[in-house]
Amino acid sequence: MSIIFLILSVLSFAAAIAIKVMFVPASQGIDIAGAHIFFTIKMPVQDLPITESQVNSWLIIFGILFLCLFLTSGLKTRDISVRQLVAEWIVETVTNLVKTNMGEFFEGFAPFVAAILGLSAFSSLSSLLGLFPPTSDINIVGGWALLVFILITYYKMKAGPLIYLRSFGQPVPLLAPLNIISEFATPVSMAFRHYGNVLSGSIISVLVAVGLSELSKMLFRFLPGVLADFPYLRIGIPAVLSVYFDLFSGCLQAFIFAMLTMSYVSGGFPAEEYAARKKKREQRKAAREAVLASNRHKGS
Amino acid sequence: MQNLDIISINIWQIVISLANLVILFLILKKFLFEPVKKIKAQRANEIEAEYRKADKARHEADELKNGWEEKIAAADQKADEIINEAVELANSRNEIMLYESREKADQIIRKAKADIERDRREARETIKKEIVDVSQAISEQIIGREINMDDHRDLIDTAIDRMGETK
Repeated sequence: MSIIFLILSVLSFAAAIAIKVMFVPASQGIDIAGAHIFFTIKMPVQDLPITESQVNSWLIIFGILFLCLFLTSGLKTRDISVRQLVAEWIVETVTNLVKTNMGEFFEGFAPFVAAILGLSAFSSLSSLLGLFPPTSDINIVGGWALLVFILITYYKMKAGPLIYLRSFGQPVPLLAPLNIISEFATPVSMAFRHYGNVLSGSIISVLVAVGLSELSKMLFRFLPGVLADFPYLRIGIPAVLSVYFDLFSGCLQAFIFAMLTMSYVSGGFPAEEYAARKKKREQRKAAREAVLASNRHKGS
Repeated sequence: MQNLDIISINIWQIVISLANLVILFLILKKFLFEPVKKIKAQRANEIEAEYRKADKARHEADELKNGWEEKIAAADQKADEIINEAVELANSRNEIMLYESREKADQIIRKAKADIERDRREARETIKKEIVDVSQAISEQIIGREINMDDHRDLIDTAIDRMGETK
């Protein structure tokens, strides 16, 4: 029964490959371009092109959804399966990571951090399947960074807008413009860091592949006919680079993005002011209730 | 235009990507974190219940053990009591028997003494009689005439009594 979910999960990645094979024309030579556009939807302000990166990220979400269903099907309290062990390990690890980095107050952030980690890592690793990695599209990563920026601002505002505005004048009011710039630089730098790392990885891979084929053409010119044109050096060598750029860098960038999210959100949250505000509000509420109670008493 | 430029910003794509992340967050929360947390809480509850059960069982066992120990102590005490009673009973019976036997012996002795006394008295009577008879006969022969029997007897009796007293 649960194996169906695993099959569906794999199928969503297979679907991404199938779509790529069917609809995306093969590139020739040195070709560094953005995602392939399948079709464009007319929208206000700006048309919305449905691109490879969009489709791939949707399919990755489906893949993760079915993977979750696969992992959590048939949960038991004893005699647990390896599947359940993996599910519990994931939940525990992410929850601990969030707790140690953000504190107990932000424990609800665990699924969000897991979502960032999962989406980013799977997106970057999808290049291993020959897919266009959605993380090398600025719009995808920009969306995540924008959400993180909204969260940061929301939690900064939690202790009151006044305290939030006053924080721009810290430590000297003269630095306010710089503080505002740095506020907006946070999501931009996050988006560019992630996107740039993944994209530069693919660009370097392409450049190295092309360079290696040219080099092998030069080195093996003495061979007769077609044998001379075969890019011998492209066998194996680009794989080493792929291990770094796709596997290592992909996972590392996902981790960095998640860590930055956690530290920005919890770091921007003024815990003391929030506690003071909460206390004040409770006191005011208690006072109001006391007044109400005394009025009722008088009334009766 | 077949491909996007390598850096091309599109607001809708950004919004869709943001929504994607939110959707994945909800998916992970609903389908991974919540079930796992639920099952862990359930497991914790079960373990707690097992512990409570074990504690209860141990408590009961302790109570049973205490009960048995008390019972054993009581049984020991009772055994001691029974033995003591038996010993006492035996002792008292012994005494009674001793007393009875002493009594019997006393009776026998007393009876024997009485017998002896009676025998002696009888013997004395008979002896006295014979002495009287003999002395009468002798004195009749000596004196040659019959003396008043009754006077005589009194006389002799007193003589013999005096004799017995001096003896």
